[in-house]
Amino acid sequence: MSKIEFDRRDFLKVMGVSGVAATVAGCDMPSYITSEEGAEEVIPYLSPEEFVIPGVGVHYASTCLQCPATCGIRGRVREGRVLKLEGNPKSALNTGKLCQMGQAGLQTHYNPDRLTKPLVRKDGALAEATWEDALALIEEKTGPSSGLSGGRFAWLTGTISGHQSVLLKAHLESLGSSSHFVHEVINTRVWQAVCQDMLGQSMPRLRIDKAKMVLSFGADFLGTWMSPIHFSADYARFRSGEDRGMLVQAEPSMSLTGANADLWVALRPGTEGVMALGLANVLINKERMDASALPAAALELINQYGVSRTTKMTGIAGDRLIRIARHLKERSPSLVLAGASAAGHVGGYQSVQAAMLLNILLGNIDQTIEASGDFALPQLASVSGGTSDLSRFADAAGAGKLDAVFFDGSNPLFAAPNHLGLTEKFDSIPFKVAFSQFMDETTAHADVVLPMASALEDWGTHVAAYQGGDHEIAFQQPLMEPIYPGTRSFGDMLLALNSMRNPGSYDGLEDYYGYLQSAVGSIPGVLKGEDDEAINVSAWNRILQDGRLQMPVDTRAFTSNLSMDDMDVRDADPAFPYYLVPTPRGTLYDGRHANIPWLQESPDQISKVVWNSWAEIHPVTAAKLAVEEGDVITVTTPDGVLEVPVYIHKGIHVDVVAVPMGQGHEDYGRYARGRGVNPLKILQPGSDAKTGELALYGSRAALAATGRAGRLIKMGNTETQHGRKIVATITAEQQRRNEGDS
Amino acid sequence: MSLVRNFIEDWSRYRRSIDEGGFHEYEHMWGMVIDLDKCTGCNACSVACYAENNLAVVGEDKFENGQGMHWMRIERYWDEPNIGNERVRDTQEHGASFMPMMCQQCNSATCEPVCPVSAAYHTPDGLNAQIYNRCVGSRYCANNCPYRLRYFNFFSYYEDSWPSPLDMQLNPDITVRDKGVMEKCTFCVQRIRSTKNAAKMEDRQVVDGEVQTACQQTCPTSAIVFGDLLDHESDVHKLWHKHQTRLGTTKQKKDNPELRGYRLYEQLNTEPSVTYLERVRDV
Repeated sequence: MSKIEFDRRDFLKVMGVSGVAATVAGCDMPSYITSEEGAEEVIPYLSPEEFVIPGVGVHYASTCLQCPATCGIRGRVREGRVLKLEGNPKSALNTGKLCQMGQAGLQTHYNPDRLTKPLVRKDGALAEATWEDALALIEEKTGPSSGLSGGRFAWLTGTISGHQSVLLKAHLESLGSSSHFVHEVINTRVWQAVCQDMLGQSMPRLRIDKAKMVLSFGADFLGTWMSPIHFSADYARFRSGEDRGMLVQAEPSMSLTGANADLWVALRPGTEGVMALGLANVLINKERMDASALPAAALELINQYGVSRTTKMTGIAGDRLIRIARHLKERSPSLVLAGASAAGHVGGYQSVQAAMLLNILLGNIDQTIEASGDFALPQLASVSGGTSDLSRFADAAGAGKLDAVFFDGSNPLFAAPNHLGLTEKFDSIPFKVAFSQFMDETTAHADVVLPMASALEDWGTHVAAYQGGDHEIAFQQPLMEPIYPGTRSFGDMLLALNSMRNPGSYDGLEDYYGYLQSAVGSIPGVLKGEDDEAINVSAWNRILQDGRLQMPVDTRAFTSNLSMDDMDVRDADPAFPYYLVPTPRGTLYDGRHANIPWLQESPDQISKVVWNSWAEIHPVTAAKLAVEEGDVITVTTPDGVLEVPVYIHKGIHVDVVAVPMGQGHEDYGRYARGRGVNPLKILQPGSDAKTGELALYGSRAALAATGRAGRLIKMGNTETQHGRKIVATITAEQQRRNEGDS
Repeated sequence: MSLVRNFIEDWSRYRRSIDEGGFHEYEHMWGMVIDLDKCTGCNACSVACYAENNLAVVGEDKFENGQGMHWMRIERYWDEPNIGNERVRDTQEHGASFMPMMCQQCNSATCEPVCPVSAAYHTPDGLNAQIYNRCVGSRYCANNCPYRLRYFNFFSYYEDSWPSPLDMQLNPDITVRDKGVMEKCTFCVQRIRSTKNAAKMEDRQVVDGEVQTACQQTCPTSAIVFGDLLDHESDVHKLWHKHQTRLGTTKQKKDNPELRGYRLYEQLNTEPSVTYLERVRDV
């Protein structure tokens, strides 16, 4: 594919190498347009390609890769350019809807700071090179004659699935290695581990729409948790009609989901599990709920967390705890969720476990937590990332166990806390190859940089870790010709790497598109009948039009293995009296969207700040420090110091300072570089004992005023409505009286 | 006979004008309903609007000066120190209040009569249109808008807001505005126009749901409903009717005062075409 010279107008002809008809029919074209396979001659613009009608936009289905949720998208393409992304209505995951990060996928694709040419490190600095030189160097270092084998070679990627995952595994196998580190800062690994251990399935289906009450311990399911757009649609159903559900959110600092709660509770970080056990205690002892489903050991543990002890540990008033418990009992079925702020502690697993125990006590299993079953094709299933892989990677690199590492879809040097010392360990790896679209922190330290095609220029298949009902393979197809001819497809690179190790292994396949078509063709009953040799082209075209391939769901019943460990709540260090919370937001996410101008200028959902970092503190804390909004404070942990202006509001626990993640890039293009601070850097060591996930929410900090006023640029000049009827509020009681299903 | 028919037609037109806030022959009356209980404040609408309408990213300095170009913005309000008799405690225990705010397409718009060159005018679709090439930049309209949602091009943003190849994303269906021009939400008039044209080519009426604004299309909770208020079968009309909001009044008369529909600042007699449904909290 890359050998052929073409210009933009010839966009779809590129696909002609491996099937003009397929691609052409893969869009929602008016039916009077027919495709003509194999047309090769160059056509002047006055009588353009038949699928290009000047002034008429057509829509192509593809898959959004802005976060690991893999929502379906449809791109509006006109004159060979993609102009706008919408949700794909045929996707069961997001049913035609899209979040702001998804909308901004266009600015990742058209970003002015994309890498356009391969770079190779010479005399300590990265210098432009040809693809041939770069690939020759990779062959020299990792090819069959390099002698490299076994665990001395590793891949480090973000969440990966589908056929990219298959080829990546094949490449690892060809080197005799099994070292695949999958890194994702914002993840649900602890939740998945608890579900796996207690219910026998890591990703049960969560029916927010069926619940009459949702109690969420920091699960920001409308913002960053698991599959936010899917849950947003569920949430809309949960909120409508006469049975309007109630949302209670308990967390240290207000997330987007918390901002929508009927009752938002400021919780001392790390005590989520204590609150869950305290609620279970009230339900059993005061509300006389049947606890026969719980094992004796769990009951014993619950009995230790009476109201007064729970109140003391969590900081939540006893009457409030009792009220929440009563609501939970009255509004059955309910749903208890536990997200990042519950899981991100040394005892994170136990906290999530306690939340799940509450679900079992309340009888929510098989009601609002439904069995889902594994993906029918395990080799395509999502390999979900986490932060334990980051520390394992740092250990391996630090111990000199790695000779060559390939990177894709992850920026570990930005995300790694200082205590991991990753930059030095990374630099000590002899050969590092970055498959990258941007010069991010990790790419800047690589020895070879290969510029990749954007998500909107590439082929791929993706399988969401959380499937919304139907199990689907999501198809990613190019929405336009690559902007930069010097970039290459990640799938093509994987094929090239595999052929490098095993010459001839993928012969007969023109490129990754050809591979995908034949691989999908080998799934029984999809593109071929049992005896058919050739694939069914119209079936293939339909898949590309839909952007989705539905797979049979083999629902497996839950198994239950109820065990319960005691909470592990750490005492405060008097020298560092505050808790540092690195807030995830669905704007800059983990920092990967800091180079998108739309998202930099998109006001934060809570603070309404743009283009910068800020620290959220409570007015009580602000009074103690004698600071006002915009004043700069220092946030000090044993692992470092940040200087950042404050935003003061009451949506935060008194003992918490929250700094959003995403800013503080040293590199990563003109929009990201040198802006704000990165709270991940100063987090303290510590990880969840069971899963090894880093305790991102477990750091302690000291705060001090600097006496300087900083720059806090916000949308809007007022925090309240000053008594005007702008956003009017009525009670749910009134709403229920008047509205049936709406 | 014709005298009687004329009389009946005139009378029904007069009756209708009360509902429609004036004596007009509207082709359509595009209106909106935003359910503040479904709105989660996620901002997807705002970014979708940037993508659809060629809105300039102005950078932090100009944003600080209040020159951000967000036609659709999400305002966030905290509960006040005191609401009625209840004092807000130490935490925002009912979360935040989000307000998606864009041009309300007023039918008695305060921006229109003050324009010295009639760049702000009312279309037969009930839209509050801005004619860019007529605008001389007096900014009287922005001064007069009680919602503060007209945005002025203080600079030629095309010079540095879309460094290549970001400019390839620009929507060719609408313009990129230059320095000295006022702009604002159009209810995605380019989508309305292309749908109307398509319907005309097929010799039929525009069907409800056929025109989707960019913000509505992407809204993850479907909090935004858009359509023709004159089409009595449209979702938007049904919602206005259900919540007993109507045009042509500065104070809604409701059989049931608990119904959630209200128009923002309608007491100013601006006749907005957007009904908001009140936020709900279970307390």
